[in-house]
Amino acid sequence: MKAFEFVAARDAQHAVALLAEHGPSAKLIAGGTDLLADLKFTPETPRVMVDISRAADLKGIALRDDGLAIGALVTHTEIMRSPVIRELFPALADAAHTIGAVQTRNLGTLGGNLVTAVPSLDSGPALVALEAQVMMLGPAGGRRLPLADFFTGPRETVLKPDELLIEIVIPKKNLGKPTSFQKFGLRKGQALALVNVAASVWLSKDQSSFVEPRIALGAVAPTIIRAPRAEAYLEGRAATPETMAEAGRIAAGEAKPISDFRASADYRRELVAVLTRRALEHARALALAAGKR
Amino acid sequence: MEVTLKVNGEARSASVAPETTLLVLLRAHFNLTGAKLGCDVGDCGACTVIVDGQAVNACLMLAGQADGREVVTIEGLATRDRLHPLQKAFEDHAALQCGFCGPGAILAAKVLLDENSEPTVGEIRDALAGNLCRCTGYTKIIAAVKEAAAVLRAERK
Repeated sequence: MKAFEFVAARDAQHAVALLAEHGPSAKLIAGGTDLLADLKFTPETPRVMVDISRAADLKGIALRDDGLAIGALVTHTEIMRSPVIRELFPALADAAHTIGAVQTRNLGTLGGNLVTAVPSLDSGPALVALEAQVMMLGPAGGRRLPLADFFTGPRETVLKPDELLIEIVIPKKNLGKPTSFQKFGLRKGQALALVNVAASVWLSKDQSSFVEPRIALGAVAPTIIRAPRAEAYLEGRAATPETMAEAGRIAAGEAKPISDFRASADYRRELVAVLTRRALEHARALALAAGKR
Repeated sequence: MEVTLKVNGEARSASVAPETTLLVLLRAHFNLTGAKLGCDVGDCGACTVIVDGQAVNACLMLAGQADGREVVTIEGLATRDRLHPLQKAFEDHAALQCGFCGPGAILAAKVLLDENSEPTVGEIRDALAGNLCRCTGYTKIIAAVKEAAAVLRAERK
Protein backbone atom coordinates (compact mmCIF):
# COMPACT_ATOMS: atom_id res chain seq x y z
CA MET A 1 0.00 0.00 0.00
CA LYS A 2 1.12 3.57 -0.63
CA ALA A 3 1.80 5.83 2.31
CA PHE A 4 -0.98 7.70 4.08
CA GLU A 5 -1.51 9.52 7.34
CA PHE A 6 -3.56 7.82 10.06
CA VAL A 7 -5.89 9.66 12.41
CA ALA A 8 -8.36 8.07 14.82
CA ALA A 9 -11.82 9.51 15.39
CA ARG A 10 -13.26 9.39 18.91
CA ASP A 11 -16.88 9.55 17.78
CA ALA A 12 -19.10 10.46 14.83
CA GLN A 13 -18.82 14.25 15.33
CA HIS A 14 -15.04 13.99 15.57
CA ALA A 15 -14.99 11.96 12.35
CA VAL A 16 -17.00 14.68 10.57
CA ALA A 17 -14.56 17.30 11.89
CA LEU A 18 -11.59 15.27 10.69
CA LEU A 19 -13.14 14.84 7.24
CA ALA A 20 -13.73 18.60 7.05
CA GLU A 21 -10.19 19.31 8.20
CA HIS A 22 -8.49 16.97 5.71
CA GLY A 23 -10.77 17.46 2.71
CA PRO A 24 -11.71 15.09 -0.08
CA SER A 25 -8.41 13.22 -0.03
CA ALA A 26 -9.35 11.79 3.37
CA LYS A 27 -11.04 8.40 3.54
CA LEU A 28 -12.90 6.69 6.37
CA ILE A 29 -11.85 3.24 7.47
CA ALA A 30 -14.03 1.04 9.69
CA GLY A 31 -13.57 -2.75 9.51
CA GLY A 32 -11.25 -2.33 6.53
CA THR A 33 -12.17 -5.68 5.00
CA ASP A 34 -13.15 -4.15 1.65
CA LEU A 35 -11.13 -0.96 1.75
CA LEU A 36 -7.70 -2.42 2.57
CA ALA A 37 -8.17 -5.26 0.09
CA ASP A 38 -8.93 -2.64 -2.61
CA LEU A 39 -6.12 -0.26 -1.63
CA LYS A 40 -3.48 -2.92 -2.16
CA PHE A 41 -4.36 -3.00 -5.85
CA THR A 42 -5.20 0.59 -6.74
CA PRO A 43 -2.76 3.31 -7.63
CA GLU A 44 -4.90 5.91 -5.86
CA THR A 45 -4.48 6.01 -2.12
CA PRO A 46 -6.13 8.47 0.24
CA ARG A 47 -3.74 10.96 1.77
CA VAL A 48 -5.32 10.60 5.19
CA MET A 49 -7.06 7.58 6.67
CA VAL A 50 -9.64 8.49 9.28
CA ASP A 51 -10.11 5.44 11.49
CA ILE A 52 -13.62 5.30 12.93
CA SER A 53 -13.31 1.73 14.23
CA ARG A 54 -13.22 2.99 17.84
CA ALA A 55 -16.12 5.44 17.62
CA ALA A 56 -18.22 4.00 20.44
CA ASP A 57 -21.34 5.99 19.55
CA LEU A 58 -21.65 4.08 16.26
CA LYS A 59 -21.67 0.61 17.80
CA GLY A 60 -25.02 0.08 19.47
CA ILE A 61 -28.15 -1.88 18.60
CA ALA A 62 -31.17 -0.27 20.27
CA LEU A 63 -34.95 -0.39 20.22
CA ARG A 64 -36.17 3.21 20.15
CA ASP A 65 -39.40 5.12 19.59
CA ASP A 66 -38.74 5.23 15.84
CA GLY A 67 -37.80 1.57 15.47
CA LEU A 68 -34.72 -0.62 15.69
CA ALA A 69 -31.51 1.38 15.29
CA ILE A 70 -28.31 -0.39 14.27
CA GLY A 71 -25.08 1.62 14.50
CA ALA A 72 -23.01 1.72 11.34
CA LEU A 73 -20.05 0.08 13.11
CA VAL A 74 -21.95 -2.97 14.30
CA THR A 75 -20.11 -5.98 12.88
CA HIS A 76 -21.73 -8.85 11.00
CA THR A 77 -20.81 -11.14 13.91
CA GLU A 78 -22.56 -8.80 16.35
CA ILE A 79 -25.68 -8.82 14.17
CA MET A 80 -25.63 -12.64 14.12
CA ARG A 81 -25.38 -12.73 17.91
CA SER A 82 -27.71 -9.89 18.87
CA PRO A 83 -30.66 -11.26 20.91
CA VAL A 84 -32.99 -8.46 19.75
CA ILE A 85 -32.11 -8.99 16.07
CA ARG A 86 -32.45 -12.76 16.37
CA GLU A 87 -35.86 -12.33 17.92
CA LEU A 88 -37.29 -9.59 15.68
CA PHE A 89 -35.35 -10.01 12.43
CA PRO A 90 -33.71 -13.43 12.10
CA ALA A 91 -33.33 -12.69 8.37
CA LEU A 92 -30.71 -10.03 9.23
CA ALA A 93 -28.74 -12.62 11.21
CA ASP A 94 -29.10 -15.11 8.34
CA ALA A 95 -27.84 -12.50 5.86
CA ALA A 96 -24.90 -11.53 8.10
CA HIS A 97 -23.96 -15.22 8.37
CA THR A 98 -23.54 -15.47 4.58
CA ILE A 99 -21.01 -12.62 4.40
CA GLY A 100 -17.40 -13.72 3.82
CA ALA A 101 -16.15 -16.02 6.57
CA VAL A 102 -15.73 -15.68 10.34
CA GLN A 103 -12.67 -13.46 9.97
CA THR A 104 -14.48 -11.03 7.65
CA ARG A 105 -17.59 -10.96 9.81
CA ASN A 106 -15.59 -10.17 12.95
CA LEU A 107 -14.08 -7.02 11.41
CA GLY A 108 -16.55 -6.06 8.69
CA THR A 109 -19.34 -3.68 9.64
CA LEU A 110 -22.90 -3.20 8.47
CA GLY A 111 -22.18 0.41 7.55
CA GLY A 112 -19.09 -0.59 5.61
CA ASN A 113 -21.00 -3.24 3.67
CA LEU A 114 -23.66 -0.68 2.70
CA VAL A 115 -21.20 2.12 1.86
CA THR A 116 -19.09 -0.17 -0.32
CA ALA A 117 -22.32 -0.71 -2.26
CA VAL A 118 -21.35 -3.62 -4.47
CA PRO A 119 -24.56 -4.81 -6.21
CA SER A 120 -24.31 -8.23 -4.54
CA LEU A 121 -23.99 -6.91 -0.97
CA ASP A 122 -25.68 -9.38 1.36
CA SER A 123 -26.69 -7.09 4.21
CA GLY A 124 -28.85 -4.91 1.97
CA PRO A 125 -31.83 -6.85 0.58
CA ALA A 126 -33.45 -7.75 3.92
CA LEU A 127 -33.06 -4.14 5.11
CA VAL A 128 -34.56 -2.81 1.86
CA ALA A 129 -37.45 -5.28 2.18
CA LEU A 130 -37.98 -3.92 5.71
CA GLU A 131 -37.98 -0.33 4.36
CA ALA A 132 -34.98 0.62 6.49
CA GLN A 133 -33.74 4.19 6.58
CA VAL A 134 -30.15 5.35 6.76
CA MET A 135 -28.94 8.29 8.81
CA MET A 136 -25.97 10.29 7.58
CA LEU A 137 -23.99 12.97 9.38
CA GLY A 138 -22.11 15.83 7.74
CA PRO A 139 -20.92 19.35 8.56
CA ALA A 140 -24.45 20.71 8.06
CA GLY A 141 -25.98 18.10 10.37
CA GLY A 142 -27.85 14.87 9.85
CA ARG A 143 -30.05 13.66 7.02
CA ARG A 144 -32.17 10.60 6.61
CA LEU A 145 -33.04 8.60 3.49
CA PRO A 146 -34.67 5.29 2.66
CA LEU A 147 -31.88 2.73 2.20
CA ALA A 148 -33.32 1.91 -1.23
CA ASP A 149 -32.47 5.49 -2.32
CA PHE A 150 -29.01 5.43 -0.73
CA PHE A 151 -27.51 3.37 -3.55
CA THR A 152 -27.00 5.12 -6.88
CA GLY A 153 -24.93 2.56 -8.81
CA PRO A 154 -22.29 -0.14 -8.44
CA ARG A 155 -20.01 1.06 -5.62
CA GLU A 156 -21.82 4.42 -5.63
CA THR A 157 -24.03 6.00 -2.99
CA VAL A 158 -25.47 9.42 -2.21
CA LEU A 159 -22.91 9.85 0.56
CA LYS A 160 -20.85 13.01 0.07
CA PRO A 161 -17.09 12.99 0.75
CA ASP A 162 -17.62 14.99 3.96
CA GLU A 163 -20.39 12.74 5.31
CA LEU A 164 -20.50 9.45 7.13
CA LEU A 165 -23.20 6.86 7.51
CA ILE A 166 -24.03 6.66 11.22
CA GLU A 167 -26.96 4.34 11.61
CA ILE A 168 -29.61 2.18 9.98
CA VAL A 169 -33.15 2.28 11.33
CA ILE A 170 -35.89 -0.27 10.68
CA PRO A 171 -39.14 1.64 11.14
CA LYS A 172 -41.37 0.84 14.06
CA LYS A 173 -44.27 -0.29 11.85
CA ASN A 174 -42.08 -3.17 10.63
CA LEU A 175 -40.77 -4.40 13.99
CA GLY A 176 -41.05 -8.17 13.91
CA LYS A 177 -42.30 -8.26 10.31
CA PRO A 178 -41.69 -11.81 9.06
CA THR A 179 -38.77 -11.62 6.63
CA SER A 180 -36.66 -14.11 4.74
CA PHE A 181 -33.23 -13.74 3.12
CA GLN A 182 -32.20 -16.16 0.39
CA LYS A 183 -28.76 -16.21 -1.21
CA PHE A 184 -27.35 -18.36 -3.97
CA GLY A 185 -23.55 -18.50 -4.09
CA LEU A 186 -21.23 -21.12 -5.52
CA ARG A 187 -20.06 -22.18 -2.06
CA LYS A 188 -21.31 -21.54 1.46
CA GLY A 189 -18.38 -19.52 2.80
CA GLN A 190 -16.36 -16.77 1.11
CA ALA A 191 -18.72 -16.55 -1.87
CA LEU A 192 -20.38 -13.58 -3.49
CA ALA A 193 -24.07 -13.92 -4.23
CA LEU A 194 -24.99 -14.78 -7.80
CA VAL A 195 -28.39 -13.54 -6.68
CA ASN A 196 -29.79 -12.67 -3.28
CA VAL A 197 -33.41 -11.95 -2.48
CA ALA A 198 -35.34 -10.85 0.57
CA ALA A 199 -39.07 -10.77 1.16
CA SER A 200 -41.04 -9.36 4.07
CA VAL A 201 -44.76 -10.03 4.49
CA TRP A 202 -47.61 -9.53 6.88
CA LEU A 203 -50.62 -11.83 6.62
CA SER A 204 -54.30 -10.86 6.77
CA LYS A 205 -56.20 -11.53 10.04
CA ASP A 206 -57.36 -14.94 8.80
CA GLN A 207 -53.77 -15.54 7.64
CA SER A 208 -54.91 -16.42 4.13
CA SER A 209 -53.53 -13.52 2.12
CA PHE A 210 -50.55 -11.20 1.88
CA VAL A 211 -50.50 -7.69 3.32
CA GLU A 212 -47.73 -5.21 2.48
CA PRO A 213 -45.43 -7.73 0.78
CA ARG A 214 -42.02 -6.22 0.05
CA ILE A 215 -39.45 -7.88 -2.21
CA ALA A 216 -35.83 -6.79 -2.68
CA LEU A 217 -33.49 -8.24 -5.30
CA GLY A 218 -29.69 -8.11 -5.12
CA ALA A 219 -26.94 -8.68 -7.71
CA VAL A 220 -29.36 -8.36 -10.64
CA ALA A 221 -29.19 -4.59 -11.27
CA PRO A 222 -26.68 -1.77 -10.68
CA THR A 223 -28.13 -1.45 -7.15
CA ILE A 224 -30.47 -3.46 -4.95
CA ILE A 225 -33.94 -3.04 -6.42
CA ARG A 226 -37.47 -3.57 -5.19
CA ALA A 227 -39.83 -5.70 -7.32
CA PRO A 228 -42.90 -3.40 -7.35
CA ARG A 229 -44.92 -5.39 -9.89
CA ALA A 230 -44.49 -8.62 -7.94
CA GLU A 231 -45.40 -6.76 -4.74
CA ALA A 232 -48.55 -5.29 -6.34
CA TYR A 233 -49.53 -8.72 -7.65
CA LEU A 234 -49.30 -10.22 -4.15
CA GLU A 235 -50.99 -7.41 -2.22
CA GLY A 236 -54.25 -8.81 -0.80
CA ARG A 237 -53.85 -12.00 -2.83
CA ALA A 238 -54.22 -15.48 -1.35
CA ALA A 239 -50.90 -16.96 -0.21
CA THR A 240 -50.74 -20.20 -2.18
CA PRO A 241 -47.87 -22.12 -3.83
CA GLU A 242 -49.19 -20.89 -7.20
CA THR A 243 -49.33 -17.18 -6.29
CA MET A 244 -45.87 -17.29 -4.70
CA ALA A 245 -44.41 -18.99 -7.77
CA GLU A 246 -46.12 -16.44 -10.01
CA ALA A 247 -44.69 -13.58 -7.93
CA GLY A 248 -41.27 -15.14 -8.49
CA ARG A 249 -41.80 -15.16 -12.26
CA ILE A 250 -42.94 -11.52 -12.17
CA ALA A 251 -39.91 -10.53 -10.09
CA ALA A 252 -37.63 -12.31 -12.60
CA GLY A 253 -39.07 -10.01 -15.28
CA GLU A 254 -38.23 -6.97 -13.15
CA ALA A 255 -34.57 -7.96 -12.69
CA LYS A 256 -31.96 -6.53 -15.05
CA PRO A 257 -29.02 -8.87 -14.55
CA ILE A 258 -25.77 -8.94 -16.46
CA SER A 259 -23.78 -11.94 -17.70
CA ASP A 260 -20.32 -12.30 -16.22
CA PHE A 261 -17.85 -15.04 -15.34
CA ARG A 262 -19.97 -16.09 -12.35
CA ALA A 263 -23.28 -16.62 -14.15
CA SER A 264 -25.27 -15.68 -17.23
CA ALA A 265 -28.11 -13.17 -17.14
CA ASP A 266 -30.62 -15.91 -17.98
CA TYR A 267 -29.39 -18.06 -15.11
CA ARG A 268 -29.64 -15.11 -12.73
CA ARG A 269 -33.22 -14.40 -13.84
CA GLU A 270 -34.12 -18.02 -13.19
CA LEU A 271 -32.52 -17.72 -9.74
CA VAL A 272 -34.61 -14.62 -9.02
CA ALA A 273 -37.79 -16.60 -9.71
CA VAL A 274 -36.73 -19.48 -7.48
CA LEU A 275 -35.27 -17.42 -4.63
CA THR A 276 -38.24 -15.03 -4.57
CA ARG A 277 -40.63 -17.96 -4.27
CA ARG A 278 -38.51 -19.50 -1.50
CA ALA A 279 -38.26 -16.17 0.34
CA LEU A 280 -42.04 -15.74 0.21
CA GLU A 281 -42.64 -19.31 1.37
CA HIS A 282 -40.19 -18.89 4.23
CA ALA A 283 -41.51 -15.48 5.30
CA ARG A 284 -45.07 -16.84 5.19
CA ALA A 285 -44.05 -19.84 7.32
CA LEU A 286 -42.50 -17.46 9.85
CA ALA A 287 -45.70 -15.39 9.88
CA LEU A 288 -47.84 -18.48 10.45
CA ALA A 289 -45.55 -19.64 13.27
CA ALA A 290 -45.72 -16.19 14.88
CA GLY A 291 -49.52 -16.30 14.59
CA LYS A 292 -49.61 -19.54 16.59
CA ARG A 293 -47.64 -18.05 19.47
CA MET B 1 3.39 6.16 14.46
CA GLU B 2 3.89 4.39 17.80
CA VAL B 3 1.83 1.31 18.52
CA THR B 4 1.75 -0.80 21.66
CA LEU B 5 -0.14 -4.03 21.91
CA LYS B 6 -0.15 -7.15 23.99
CA VAL B 7 1.13 -10.03 21.91
CA ASN B 8 0.92 -13.52 23.41
CA GLY B 9 0.66 -11.96 26.85
CA GLU B 10 3.61 -9.60 26.48
CA ALA B 11 3.48 -5.84 25.85
CA ARG B 12 5.21 -5.04 22.56
CA SER B 13 5.78 -1.63 20.95
CA ALA B 14 6.98 -0.51 17.57
CA SER B 15 7.31 2.60 15.47
CA VAL B 16 5.68 1.93 12.12
CA ALA B 17 4.46 3.69 8.99
CA PRO B 18 0.68 4.29 9.17
CA GLU B 19 -0.02 2.01 6.20
CA THR B 20 1.52 -0.96 8.03
CA THR B 21 -0.87 -3.86 8.47
CA LEU B 22 -1.05 -5.93 11.65
CA LEU B 23 0.42 -8.80 9.61
CA VAL B 24 3.51 -6.80 8.63
CA LEU B 25 3.82 -5.52 12.20
CA LEU B 26 3.86 -9.07 13.54
CA ARG B 27 6.14 -10.53 10.91
CA ALA B 28 8.61 -7.73 10.14
CA HIS B 29 8.70 -5.80 13.42
CA PHE B 30 8.07 -8.46 16.06
CA ASN B 31 9.66 -11.30 14.10
CA LEU B 32 6.59 -13.49 14.65
CA THR B 33 6.43 -15.26 11.30
CA GLY B 34 3.77 -17.84 12.18
CA ALA B 35 1.02 -15.77 10.58
CA LYS B 36 1.53 -16.12 6.84
CA LEU B 37 1.16 -13.71 3.96
CA GLY B 38 -1.04 -15.54 1.47
CA CYS B 39 -3.57 -13.71 -0.68
CA ASP B 40 -3.24 -10.39 1.24
CA VAL B 41 -6.95 -9.61 0.59
CA GLY B 42 -8.78 -11.66 3.23
CA ASP B 43 -9.67 -14.69 1.14
CA CYS B 44 -7.24 -17.37 2.30
CA GLY B 45 -7.02 -16.99 6.08
CA ALA B 46 -3.30 -17.84 6.26
CA CYS B 47 -2.75 -14.62 8.26
CA THR B 48 -5.47 -15.40 10.82
CA VAL B 49 -4.62 -14.27 14.36
CA ILE B 50 -6.78 -13.72 17.43
CA VAL B 51 -7.47 -10.08 18.35
CA ASP B 52 -9.40 -9.49 21.57
CA GLY B 53 -10.71 -13.04 21.41
CA GLN B 54 -11.84 -12.95 17.78
CA ALA B 55 -10.30 -14.51 14.68
CA VAL B 56 -9.33 -11.80 12.19
CA ASN B 57 -7.28 -11.57 9.02
CA ALA B 58 -4.15 -9.68 10.08
CA CYS B 59 -3.67 -8.53 6.47
CA LEU B 60 -6.90 -6.50 6.68
CA MET B 61 -6.21 -4.63 9.91
CA LEU B 62 -3.96 -1.62 10.20
CA ALA B 63 -1.36 -1.62 12.95
CA GLY B 64 -2.98 1.57 14.26
CA GLN B 65 -6.30 -0.22 14.54
CA ALA B 66 -4.63 -2.97 16.57
CA ASP B 67 -2.98 -0.46 18.93
CA GLY B 68 -3.85 -1.27 22.55
CA ARG B 69 -5.45 -4.60 21.72
CA GLU B 70 -4.59 -8.13 22.74
CA VAL B 71 -3.24 -10.39 20.03
CA VAL B 72 -2.60 -14.14 20.11
CA THR B 73 -0.49 -15.70 17.36
CA ILE B 74 0.43 -19.34 16.77
CA GLU B 75 3.68 -18.68 18.68
CA GLY B 76 1.57 -18.11 21.80
CA LEU B 77 -0.09 -21.53 21.87
CA ALA B 78 2.55 -24.09 22.78
CA THR B 79 4.61 -24.04 25.94
CA ARG B 80 8.15 -25.36 26.16
CA ASP B 81 6.73 -28.60 27.59
CA ARG B 82 3.82 -29.31 25.35
CA LEU B 83 1.89 -28.48 22.22
CA HIS B 84 -1.61 -27.06 22.47
CA PRO B 85 -4.15 -29.91 22.05
CA LEU B 86 -5.09 -28.49 18.64
CA GLN B 87 -1.46 -28.56 17.50
CA LYS B 88 -1.07 -32.11 18.80
CA ALA B 89 -4.27 -33.24 17.08
CA PHE B 90 -3.23 -31.61 13.78
CA GLU B 91 0.07 -33.51 14.02
CA ASP B 92 -1.59 -36.82 14.96
CA HIS B 93 -4.11 -36.59 12.11
CA ALA B 94 -1.56 -35.37 9.54
CA ALA B 95 -3.85 -32.41 9.08
CA LEU B 96 -0.90 -30.37 7.81
CA GLN B 97 1.02 -31.15 4.68
CA CYS B 98 2.89 -28.04 3.54
CA GLY B 99 1.79 -26.31 6.73
CA PHE B 100 1.19 -22.88 5.24
CA CYS B 101 -2.49 -22.74 6.27
CA GLY B 102 -1.84 -24.38 9.65
CA PRO B 103 -1.29 -21.39 11.96
CA GLY B 104 -4.40 -19.65 10.66
CA ALA B 105 -6.55 -22.78 10.70
CA ILE B 106 -5.45 -23.69 14.23
CA LEU B 107 -6.15 -20.19 15.55
CA ALA B 108 -9.58 -20.05 13.87
CA ALA B 109 -10.30 -23.45 15.43
CA LYS B 110 -9.07 -22.22 18.82
CA VAL B 111 -11.59 -19.38 18.85
CA LEU B 112 -14.32 -21.86 17.94
CA LEU B 113 -13.36 -24.22 20.78
CA ASP B 114 -13.02 -21.35 23.26
CA GLU B 115 -16.69 -20.54 22.60
CA ASN B 116 -18.10 -23.98 21.81
CA SER B 117 -16.60 -27.01 23.57
CA GLU B 118 -18.49 -29.58 21.48
CA PRO B 119 -18.93 -28.24 17.93
CA THR B 120 -20.71 -30.23 15.23
CA VAL B 121 -18.97 -30.90 11.93
CA GLY B 122 -21.16 -28.18 10.42
CA GLU B 123 -20.01 -25.69 13.04
CA ILE B 124 -16.36 -26.62 12.45
CA ARG B 125 -16.78 -26.17 8.70
CA ASP B 126 -18.42 -22.79 9.27
CA ALA B 127 -15.64 -21.64 11.62
CA LEU B 128 -12.93 -22.73 9.13
CA ALA B 129 -14.65 -21.56 5.92
CA GLY B 130 -12.20 -18.65 5.77
CA ASN B 131 -9.09 -20.83 5.96
CA LEU B 132 -8.13 -22.32 2.62
CA CYS B 133 -5.97 -25.45 2.50
CA ARG B 134 -4.66 -26.70 -0.83
CA CYS B 135 -3.00 -29.90 0.45
CA THR B 136 -4.99 -32.13 2.77
CA GLY B 137 -8.49 -31.28 1.64
CA TYR B 138 -10.05 -30.42 5.01
CA THR B 139 -11.20 -33.90 6.09
CA LYS B 140 -8.18 -34.39 8.32
CA ILE B 141 -8.35 -30.84 9.61
CA ILE B 142 -11.95 -31.33 10.68
CA ALA B 143 -11.12 -34.66 12.33
CA ALA B 144 -8.25 -32.98 14.19
CA VAL B 145 -10.47 -30.17 15.48
CA LYS B 146 -13.06 -32.71 16.65
CA GLU B 147 -10.41 -34.66 18.53
CA ALA B 148 -8.86 -31.55 20.08
CA ALA B 149 -12.31 -30.57 21.30
CA ALA B 150 -12.65 -33.95 23.01
CA VAL B 151 -9.19 -33.64 24.59
CA LEU B 152 -9.97 -30.14 25.88
CA ARG B 153 -13.31 -31.31 27.28
CA ALA B 154 -11.59 -34.19 29.11
CA GLU B 155 -8.96 -31.79 30.50
CA ARG B 156 -11.64 -29.54 31.89
CA LYS B 157 -13.30 -32.33 33.84
